[in-house]
Amino acid sequence: MGRDKTRRLSGSRHLRQRLVLATLTSTGVTIDDIRSGDAAPGLRPYEVSLLRLLDKISDRHTIDLNETGTKLKYMPGVIQGGKGLEHDCGVHRGIGYFLEPLILLGLFAKAPISIRLKGITNDTKDPSVDTFRMTTLHMLKHFGVPLEGLELKIDSRGSPPLGGGEVFLRVPNINSTLTAANWVDEGMVKRIRGVSFSTRVSPQIESRIIYAARGIFNRFIPDVHIFTDHRSGASGGRSPGYGVSLVAETTTGCLLSVDATVSYPSVDEINDESEKPELMSPEDLGVQAASMLLEEVAQGGVVDSTHQGLLFILCALCPADVSKVRVGQLTPHGIETLRNIRDFLNVMFVIKPDPNSNTITLKCVGAGVKNIARKSS
Amino acid sequence: LLATLSRRSASLMQRVYEPSVKLDSVVSEENDDTEANSSDDEFFVPKGQKKQADNELPTYDDIDAEDCSKFFKAKLRDWSNEDLINSIRDRFVTGNWSK
Repeated sequence: MGRDKTRRLSGSRHLRQRLVLATLTSTGVTIDDIRSGDAAPGLRPYEVSLLRLLDKISDRHTIDLNETGTKLKYMPGVIQGGKGLEHDCGVHRGIGYFLEPLILLGLFAKAPISIRLKGITNDTKDPSVDTFRMTTLHMLKHFGVPLEGLELKIDSRGSPPLGGGEVFLRVPNINSTLTAANWVDEGMVKRIRGVSFSTRVSPQIESRIIYAARGIFNRFIPDVHIFTDHRSGASGGRSPGYGVSLVAETTTGCLLSVDATVSYPSVDEINDESEKPELMSPEDLGVQAASMLLEEVAQGGVVDSTHQGLLFILCALCPADVSKVRVGQLTPHGIETLRNIRDFLNVMFVIKPDPNSNTITLKCVGAGVKNIARKSS
Repeated sequence: LLATLSRRSASLMQRVYEPSVKLDSVVSEENDDTEANSSDDEFFVPKGQKKQADNELPTYDDIDAEDCSKFFKAKLRDWSNEDLINSIRDRFVTGNWSK
C-alpha cells in the first residue's frame, strides 16, 4: 500500500473532496492553516462530524487533529462499509453535505453500505435529499453502477435550524472499476418532474409553490408534474419550512435539477438582531425555483451546475479509457474539482469550448482506480 | 477561425490548471486592501468579520473558502419575457424542429 505518500495542503476549502480523493488513492494528507486567521479558528462542527463519519465507515486509518483544530493529519485505511450504520449529521449543514462524499466512498468499500443519517434534509447550501434521490443517484448508472443497490429513503424531513430529519441510504460497492462514459448528448427536455415539501406548516403552501412554478413552465412544456410531500408531526422534524426540488428530464435521459428551500436561518447565521426575518412567499419560491431550472436548461450540458464536481471525479476514477462529457459553463466548484483531481489522481482534462451550443466538452483518460478494499477480502 | 478556437480552448485550460497569473493579481489586490485598512483605526480585523464587512464574492484563491457544490446564479432573469422564452424554446421537445 502506498502509505509512504503524503500530501501537504493548507486551508479548509474542499475538505470533502480532498478527503475522498486521499482515501481512494491511499494518499495521506496533512492539512494545516485551517482557518488559522479566523475569529473562530479550526474545523467547524460539521467538518468534525464528517471526520467522524469517515471514521465510522473505514478501518486501519488514522485521523489526528491538533488542539485548536487548525491542523489535520489523515492517513486513509480501508473503507469497510457495512450494514446498520448510523450517523448524526448535526444541524450546521444539510445531509446533502455528507451524502456527496459518502456515495463516492461507498462505491469503493469492502461491503455495501447502508446507513441512517439524521439532520437537516433540505437547506439552502447543500443539494436536498430529493435532488439526490431524483438526480444524483441516476448519474451513477452512466458509469456502470447498477441502480438496484442504490437507494435513498426519506423517513422524516427536517428543515433548518433544528433539523430532525432522517434518511436511509444504501450504496452498493463496485466489483473492480467504474466504466468510462461517453456522455455528450444532452437531448431535449421532454418532461419536468419535481417534489415539493412542507414541514410543520400548512399543506396549502405546497399547492401555492406548484401553482407558481407551473405558471412559468406552461409556456414551454405541458408535461409538468410536481408531487407533494407534506410532513406533520414527528416525520416533519423540528422546524417549519418548505421548498421544492425540480428535475428536467431530457430525451437522452439526462437530468437537470435545482432545489430551493425556505426556512428560518440556521444556527450559524443567527445574528445579533434576533427578530425572525420575513420568509419568502411560496409563490416567489416557486417562480425562483422554476427560473433556476430554466437557467440550467439554457446553459446546456448533461448535468446541472451542482453536479459538475461529482461528474468530473467519476470520469477521473474510470479505468484507463477515454471519458467524454459535456457541461454548460464551468462553476467555481467544478474548476476547483478539476484542480484537485490533477493533484491527487494526476489526471488532466482536455477542455474544449463548443461555440455552436455555448457548452464545454471535457475529455480525460481515467486514472483506473480499483476497489482494492473488496479485492483483499 | 480555427486559430481563435484553439486559442480559446487553450485559455480555458490555462484558466483551470494554471491559476498562478490570477493568483498574483488577486494577492496584490488583497495587499492593497490590507494597506487601505491599516490606515484606519481598526488595525487588527479578524478574517471572518472582515469578509462580512466587505461582503465580497468568494474568490478562487481563498484557502478557507466554503465547501459547497451548489452554484448560485447572481441574478435570475425574468423568464416570462418573450425573447428569453424563445431563446431556449428549442431546448424542449415542444420546440420547432423544422429548421
